Amino acid sequence: MRIERIGREPEFSQYMDLKEGWLDRRIFSDAEIYEEELYRIFARSWLFVAHESQLPKAGDFLTTHMGEDAVIVARQPDGSIKVFLNSCPHRGNKVCFADAGNTRRFVCNYHGWAFDTGGELKGMHEEYCYDEIDIDRKKNGLKQVARVAGYKGLVFATFAEDGPSLDAWLGDFRWYLDMLLDNEEGGTELIGGCIKSVINANWKFGVENFIGDAYHAGWTHDSGCRSMNNGEPFPPVDMENSYHASVNGHGWEFGTEGVGDLFLLGRPKVMEYYERIRPKMAQRLGEMRSQIFGSVASASIFPNVSFLPGISTFRQWQPKGPMEFELKTWVIVNKAMPDDIKDEITKGVMQTFGPGGTFEMDDGENWSNCTTVNRGVVTRHERLHYRCGISRQIEHDTLPGIVYRGQYNDANQRGFYQRWLDMMEADKLDAMPERPEPRLTGVSETRDVPGLFAL
Amino acid sequence: MLEMNPAPVLVEDMIALTQRLYHEARLLDAERFEDWLELLCDDVTYRMDLKRRRFRADRSPPAAVGAGVVFNENFARLKLRIDRLRSGYVWAEDPPNFVRRVISNVEIEPADAENEVIVHSVIVIHRNRIDGLARQFTAGRTDRWRHGTQGWCLAARDIALDHAVLPDSNINVFF
Repeated sequence: MRIERIGREPEFSQYMDLKEGWLDRRIFSDAEIYEEELYRIFARSWLFVAHESQLPKAGDFLTTHMGEDAVIVARQPDGSIKVFLNSCPHRGNKVCFADAGNTRRFVCNYHGWAFDTGGELKGMHEEYCYDEIDIDRKKNGLKQVARVAGYKGLVFATFAEDGPSLDAWLGDFRWYLDMLLDNEEGGTELIGGCIKSVINANWKFGVENFIGDAYHAGWTHDSGCRSMNNGEPFPPVDMENSYHASVNGHGWEFGTEGVGDLFLLGRPKVMEYYERIRPKMAQRLGEMRSQIFGSVASASIFPNVSFLPGISTFRQWQPKGPMEFELKTWVIVNKAMPDDIKDEITKGVMQTFGPGGTFEMDDGENWSNCTTVNRGVVTRHERLHYRCGISRQIEHDTLPGIVYRGQYNDANQRGFYQRWLDMMEADKLDAMPERPEPRLTGVSETRDVPGLFAL
Repeated sequence: MLEMNPAPVLVEDMIALTQRLYHEARLLDAERFEDWLELLCDDVTYRMDLKRRRFRADRSPPAAVGAGVVFNENFARLKLRIDRLRSGYVWAEDPPNFVRRVISNVEIEPADAENEVIVHSVIVIHRNRIDGLARQFTAGRTDRWRHGTQGWCLAARDIALDHAVLPDSNINVFF
């Protein structure tokens, strides 16, 4: 797919200096910058579109967005997954208004053009009005995305024909992702459906909050923590044994104490469950990863997916203009878990990080006000401070990525905006720098790297 | 469907329950949460299920395990929410938001238990938030109210929220 805007105006470096640690506020509210993001980032990145578990059978589908482009994700009779635009080639109407379900056909409401679950045009209302010369059905299906690929249950799609494979896109971040996706035999599934809510904020505020902002938790969520924890506030973090790790704009901030997020979920049975499988997890993923899992942690996959490993909320920030996004949240669990544990986790997630949850309720207001206050013509030119922990980078034998010591840090946020800048400025995706040089190139399974490798 | 022979409900009960719903709404609008708790039975259940937009003809089964709920609360959980609101650390509610509930379409029918009734109603919640942002939620409610020594107490509330996408960043309100 040719993205004709690329190459027009590569002056985005004026909006930040990440070595100094500042950002220009206009990237959070400017309409033109937002429009460029849709072309340069959302139309070229690998974007999360579904979890395999949402589409178990042929004919199962769901509707979602890639950037602001509406798409249908559908399971094919041969077991593969196709992703195509949710827009009729005739007049452009949406062909599917359901969130999800099972079907044989998508039929456009306007003139009855009917497409199979692979997106191919199968028939039209009053077909006799078309002469043979008028239409080639093969060429008038629903527009397919350029590439679809999966990683351990997560399904991604991209409109970019060139650029890295999904494995290369995730790169060394797979070492971290596997703590969420592969901490137990059988993998994961999303359960309990999807909650959608609208927040009047720039999409990047959601992503950067999860990619590294452990710092906000103790203050923003003070009320939530005290109500869950007999009036006690968050304990101070261990700045020596907690980290930020950034890989090409993806990021994971974490402690190594193993229980913080599990505790916040507020479900003792779930805590017990993980303690029971932790020795196996250590065999599976190595000692280090078994200690990270369950700690106070949060993570984002570039550009717009986030999750809390241990708390099990999984979410996507869908851009809807510079000052609005739609938040979609799911619950992610291990398939191998017994039903009562899955049920406990679902309840725990809704009570903490659902839209009615004791933690979630505090966030939206902040992001919204961070965004809308930049309408001020003077305010929008003021720099924002992103310098926390700027000198704390370390080399770590075990942990891949650009690693900083101390969980209270802006390092992953800086890594995210660096990738944002790389993509906004790159004419060709293949020319984008690797940050950092990958360690796991050629490694198809991070379990084969048992937590330790020589530098 | 119109019930042709609805079981009779006493006029006094009708009035008492309608007044309870209005009173409850006023207590919540005024953030008198502890007073509101006193209107709830100890075994109260308070639920809001998640809804999905599906085709009418779609007969595939909904998710069996972990069916999504926004609220699935008991008395202790509701009290925890109130404790949080009272903690003095809820920055998003300070200064306080303006919240006003409108209750309508009240309909009462007998329940299985002799001292209980089913009460249907519609609630519209207006919220005026920080910086003057106004939002509105609409929901149907199906309640079970129980008559005891304290008068009518809420034993169960099922809330059907009429929004495919929540029109706000949170639903930090009682319905």
